Amino acid sequence: MTARIETPAQALADPTCRQALVELLFQLADDDLVLGHRDSEWVGLAPHIEEDVAFASIAQDEVGHAAAYYGLLVDLGEAESADALAYSRPPDAWRCALLLERPNGPGHYLENPQFDWGYTIARHYLYDLFEMVRLEALVESAYLPLAQLAAKVRREERYHLLHMETWVKRLARHSSVSRARLQAGLEKAWVDLYGLFSLGPEGPAMAALGLLPGGRDRLWQTWRERAQTLFAEAGLPWPGDPSPVMLDGRAGRHSADLEALLGPLTEVYRLDPTARW
Amino acid sequence: MADERLEYHIYEVFAQESQMAPAVHQFSLLASSPDMALILAKENFLRRQKAWSVWVVRRDHIHRTGPAEAEMFDRMDKTYRETEGYRYLKEKWRRYKQEPLTAQGMT
Repeated sequence: MTARIETPAQALADPTCRQALVELLFQLADDDLVLGHRDSEWVGLAPHIEEDVAFASIAQDEVGHAAAYYGLLVDLGEAESADALAYSRPPDAWRCALLLERPNGPGHYLENPQFDWGYTIARHYLYDLFEMVRLEALVESAYLPLAQLAAKVRREERYHLLHMETWVKRLARHSSVSRARLQAGLEKAWVDLYGLFSLGPEGPAMAALGLLPGGRDRLWQTWRERAQTLFAEAGLPWPGDPSPVMLDGRAGRHSADLEALLGPLTEVYRLDPTARW
Repeated sequence: MADERLEYHIYEVFAQESQMAPAVHQFSLLASSPDMALILAKENFLRRQKAWSVWVVRRDHIHRTGPAEAEMFDRMDKTYRETEGYRYLKEKWRRYKQEPLTAQGMT
């Protein structure tokens, strides 16, 4: 039985707890902001207008969730504002998994985008299922403000997951072309998959303190069981357990893709960091 | 997987505000299957609006009459089929209450 931590002050009183909690919140916030940004890069490019609007709306949800997690970090004294956390950190201060920082495909949003819908759906589904499993653990978090926020975020994430599941089943079952593209996307995402389940150096403390009940093992086991169910339903072969990755985003080690993403993400903020919006 | 073409259809979307509310037509959208139409309806149009349930129906599955058939709803004066046709009753009651019924015309 782990002790309940009801306020930021209680979390700050114990340095071990503070450190594990801050790392966990950065993982949650950075995952959502980075993927939300990737989603926003589909605006005007998605396969059809209804999906374009839906994806933009999912992007907004993800960014909104990130803002809420940054808010909890502000309460813990990590910065003055959520904006400062989102827009002024160097790449090695980011804690997102590599899977989420990868571009949507070759090209650039503004120049000759050759984005890959198969990869986009594959990556988003794998992440949304992970996020759902993580939120289910977080609603039981020992840190009360996080447990309360997780319950709210989970309501919206249920529909993101449903959206991606619908697409996965559609692409898998529709035609040989759509199926091949989805499978290529899953293969590509699988390369980074291991890193999604990393909780970084503070992982054991997160589990031991009950901040993320069950820790990595619970996430991985629950995730695998549910993913395998959907793969079977969609008639997709299970690609096997993912192999460990070279770079652990949870430890602040990132690909050049993150730096490329942070440029456009932070450019307006950098014009005048003191501006009030 | 014989058919390699993705077939899109127009879906008409209806929503109920609550369990007891009628399903009211909202808008139409293009989707490749009913389940896809449901999730697209939610993300496209039901983000701000209150909804309890959403229905989708393929437009070509709805049977309707057209402008040529509109005449079938025309009719002669049959106000006795509507409450409107009984408006005079109120005045009649008022009069009878004021003037006790007498055998009129019988002197």
